[in-house]
Amino acid sequence: MTQFFQQVINGLSIGSVYALMAVGYSLVYSIMNFSNFAHGGVIMLGAYFGFFSLTLLHLPFLAAFLLASIGTTILAIVVERIAYKPLRERKAPFLYFIISAMGASILLENIVIATIGPTFRTYPEVFARTPISIGPLAIGRLDLLMFVISAVCLTALILFIEKTKMGKAIQAAAYNIKACALMGINTDKVILIVFGLGGFLAGVAGVFFGMKYTVYPQIGNITTKSFIAAVFGGLGSLPGAVLGSVILGILETFVAGYLSSQYRDLIAFVILIGVLIIRPSGIMGKNTEDKA
Amino acid sequence: MLTVKDLHVSYGGIRALKGVSLAVNKGEIVTIIGANGAGKSTLLNTISGFLKPTRGEILYNNEKLAHRPDLIVKTGICHVPEGRLIFANLTVTDNLILGAYLRNDSKAIKEDLEKVFTLFPRLKERELQLAGTLSGGEQQMLAMGRALMTNGELVLMDEPSLGLAPLLVQTVFDIILQIRALGKTILLVEQNAFKALNIADRAYVLEQGRIVKQGPAAEIARDPAVRAAYLGSKSVAMKA
Repeated sequence: MTQFFQQVINGLSIGSVYALMAVGYSLVYSIMNFSNFAHGGVIMLGAYFGFFSLTLLHLPFLAAFLLASIGTTILAIVVERIAYKPLRERKAPFLYFIISAMGASILLENIVIATIGPTFRTYPEVFARTPISIGPLAIGRLDLLMFVISAVCLTALILFIEKTKMGKAIQAAAYNIKACALMGINTDKVILIVFGLGGFLAGVAGVFFGMKYTVYPQIGNITTKSFIAAVFGGLGSLPGAVLGSVILGILETFVAGYLSSQYRDLIAFVILIGVLIIRPSGIMGKNTEDKA
Repeated sequence: MLTVKDLHVSYGGIRALKGVSLAVNKGEIVTIIGANGAGKSTLLNTISGFLKPTRGEILYNNEKLAHRPDLIVKTGICHVPEGRLIFANLTVTDNLILGAYLRNDSKAIKEDLEKVFTLFPRLKERELQLAGTLSGGEQQMLAMGRALMTNGELVLMDEPSLGLAPLLVQTVFDIILQIRALGKTILLVEQNAFKALNIADRAYVLEQGRIVKQGPAAEIARDPAVRAAYLGSKSVAMKA
């Protein structure tokens, strides 16, 4: 029983970071109807921003964290302006956006390989390795922080979307961006804010992944998991992305804990294939016709 | 109020408008009738800033219009789009409040909301319902109410009666008259030429991207060619 709860806690912690990445996918998808594969590159650079803020600039942890997230916010917006805005203005088909996204992703990865190098880097130890004990359960300090900060970020995001005027505009744009413009809403600004929000959360996620594992140019591939989580939950739905991520995180740790850690990645793809066959719109997704 | 001069618009390789000129005066209901594909929706979408003209200009209160939809709404033109395009994932009230996105005068917004609910009591009854659960007629009312919430002076309406039950079609045209009575100016695009000519002051006939006839609505309604093409001359003759 103890092991069961231990796995749930580990799963929640990793799932919450998947959720940070998955909502970035989902936000962009809900408004622009394409999967922004450059998101992984932004997360990867978030991990590097955090790493260098700690090692080169010797910033305290929170400052490094913030700097990395601001960096990725700007980066995500720059990617949008360069890779997608010209396509938007030409009213290009969705397929072109996906191709452009893949190009941006490859470009970001190779810029890092060419400038910083392909080596694996390890974050300096920010937190003590000794876990916090609650009864028989042991919770890693980093795991706890990952869960708490992710939960705070996601709650703030959902409040922003549900309670503010701009949030309503984002919801409206997700339904129909033309009608949104007819309300006098500057849709270009809505898109900019959506990329900025996704970018900020990507920075948070990137730093956590860098700390939990290592930093390397292909770390962005981890977003495959969050992409699967977003599809599982229902692409375009924020609560769906969070739910899908948490379930995926818990399932993964269960598989790793009870079967073998070698099967850990397998479960994600089994879920993806299963969802696509049984319920392509995911747990909470909207109808996915005409979307790429 | 609105002056369109020699407007040419192409999109997707098709020359949809080939030199359209028209004018709308304050307080008028002006209708544009024409067959499917004549360019009616293209014209409204160009006025609203979704399409860029290749030639010609659009003046609103003697000033050139911007080329961005949100800025055009700001100058006072609102648009009830074809197919209504309501936000089905939001409540009726949220839909209406979004119409007032550019306004900050919360008191006036509240008053306008009440006005819209007086005009459309059905919407009041369903105020907290998701817009996607409304019937077609109610969605059309919501689309109109939402446009009114922008507080625009000129209302562009694109096929408001499309796809509605015959009984509701009459209601929609009655509402258009009521909206005019609120002091709004209306540019109405309709396939239901008979009803549109019935409530309009003036009319333009659009064929293959060109204005082929214009004049007082009553006169256009009597025109034999128009009657043959758009009104089904037999039924009109029987009525006469």
